[in-house]
Amino acid sequence: MIEVEGLTVSYGAGRRTVLALAGVSLSVAEGELVAVVGPSGCGKSTLLFTLDGLIPPTQGVVRIGGQMVQGVRRDVALILQDAGLLPWKTVLANAELGLRIQGRRGDVREVLEELGLAGFERRYPGELSEGMRRRVGIARALALNPKVFLMDEPMANLDSITRQRIQDLILKLWQGFHFTGVLVTHDIEEAVFLGQRIFVFSPRPGRLVEVVENPEVGTSKYRDSAQFLARVRHLRQVLVESGT
Amino acid sequence: MKRVVHYLVAALVVFLLWELVSVSLLAVRGRVILPGPVATIREGIQHVSELSSAFGASALRFSIALSIAFFLGLPAGLVLGFERGLYQVFSPLIYLTYPIPPVALLVFLYLAFGVGEAVKIVVVTCALFFQVLVAAQGAARGIPRTYVTAVRSAGASRWQLYRHVVVPATLPAVLTAARVSVGLGITMLYVVETKLGLVGGPKTGLGRFIEYYTFRAELSLAGVVGLSLLGLMFYALLELLERWLCRWKHLGGPGAP
Ligand SMILES: Nc1ncnc2c1ncn2[C@@H]1O[C@H](COP(=O)(O)OP(=O)(O)OP(=O)(O)O)[C@@H](O)[C@H]1O
Ligand SMILES: [Mg+2]
Repeated sequence: MIEVEGLTVSYGAGRRTVLALAGVSLSVAEGELVAVVGPSGCGKSTLLFTLDGLIPPTQGVVRIGGQMVQGVRRDVALILQDAGLLPWKTVLANAELGLRIQGRRGDVREVLEELGLAGFERRYPGELSEGMRRRVGIARALALNPKVFLMDEPMANLDSITRQRIQDLILKLWQGFHFTGVLVTHDIEEAVFLGQRIFVFSPRPGRLVEVVENPEVGTSKYRDSAQFLARVRHLRQVLVESGT
Repeated sequence: MKRVVHYLVAALVVFLLWELVSVSLLAVRGRVILPGPVATIREGIQHVSELSSAFGASALRFSIALSIAFFLGLPAGLVLGFERGLYQVFSPLIYLTYPIPPVALLVFLYLAFGVGEAVKIVVVTCALFFQVLVAAQGAARGIPRTYVTAVRSAGASRWQLYRHVVVPATLPAVLTAARVSVGLGITMLYVVETKLGLVGGPKTGLGRFIEYYTFRAELSLAGVVGLSLLGLMFYALLELLERWLCRWKHLGGPGAP
């Protein structure tokens, strides 16, 4: 579904050029859920922006569904690192934003209900808890019914209870909607809980240094299994060895 | 309602201070220098129709000037602030012309627009236009990237970007700037209604009223009160507009002002 070949992305020009990604090649199968981990500033958000067509590759190619990515696509949705809600729009208007921009009809109320946001439709983001704001961000992307779901640290800076709840939510949504998902995270356990394969990136400029296979994702009570703990330990080991 | 009470209390305080100054001046100088509020209001009521038509003329001029300043200054400022390339080209031009007070160019404006109604409105419009323009430009430059990314990610066109992000994000700052500029606008209005009013053109407005009755101090002061009410009216109007259009800025909670 997603194919990335020799992707290099740099920001700025001239002497102030910042190389964010250097020669990344990877692919994600249709319906697969993968995690991307790496240190801060290694280009994880940049990778998602490129997959979403928001910034063009400096070198290399990105293909989704066999087509070169040139500009944003309707079947790809991105959840921004901080949810990216517009504070002047209500919860409902924020959730509907993508649909409205694309001139599509659709009912987001069902999605809001699914995410436990029923009754808050007329509130503004400034009136919500951080966890609720993240869920509105998820609702906005989900409402587009995308084939590809790009998630940029949707659980960062949340308390562990809320974090776990949203992790469970994402797993449930993935099992229900069968989208192809790329989840960027800082959190090792989260990567193991949600990534069928885990892509480990080096510090900036980001390179793919290791791929950890983790096929047990989605099996019942995976989080409590010995297998899970072993995988977490293994991933931690990989991160240490790769110097990240 | 609470705000109305606040304004009434403030008006009362102003009147008391005014009376105090008026009485002390009388005591020190032995004659009436500044008429008191009661005498002023009495005179004002006696000439209420003349006063209110002057108020109406000034209010109309000010509304027209403010509307033009908004309709030209807001889009221009937003585009200049948001579109990187344009900003680099036009910002020196704006910062060079921005500090020129339009009254300094009065003679040229007078030659260009004649002595009638137009030039009065042009001067006030210029003053307000630059305030709106600069505020809009600054606010548009400061829009957080993530809002733009969020909307672009959904495939927004340039127009949708302005509609969903640029305009709502900058509106509070622009309306506040406009509100703060009301004082400047009223000053300009006063200037053109007096200095130019003598040269020719329609002899209307509060400035003209104040000047015409210079030697009837109570009446002249009634005109000044009218001018301050005019300013207050537009100030309150812009504040109401801001509260109504930017509700999201005025939510409760610990961070609320
Ligand atoms: N617009 C930009 N202009 C210049 N440099 C940028 C820009 N955006 C990002 N960078 C740089 O590119 C590098 C990668 O940034 P990116 O946001 O992709 O990292 P990240 O892995 O998502 O980090 P984090 O985990 O902190 O979110 C960083 O070093 C950053 O400083
Ligand atoms: Mg990031």
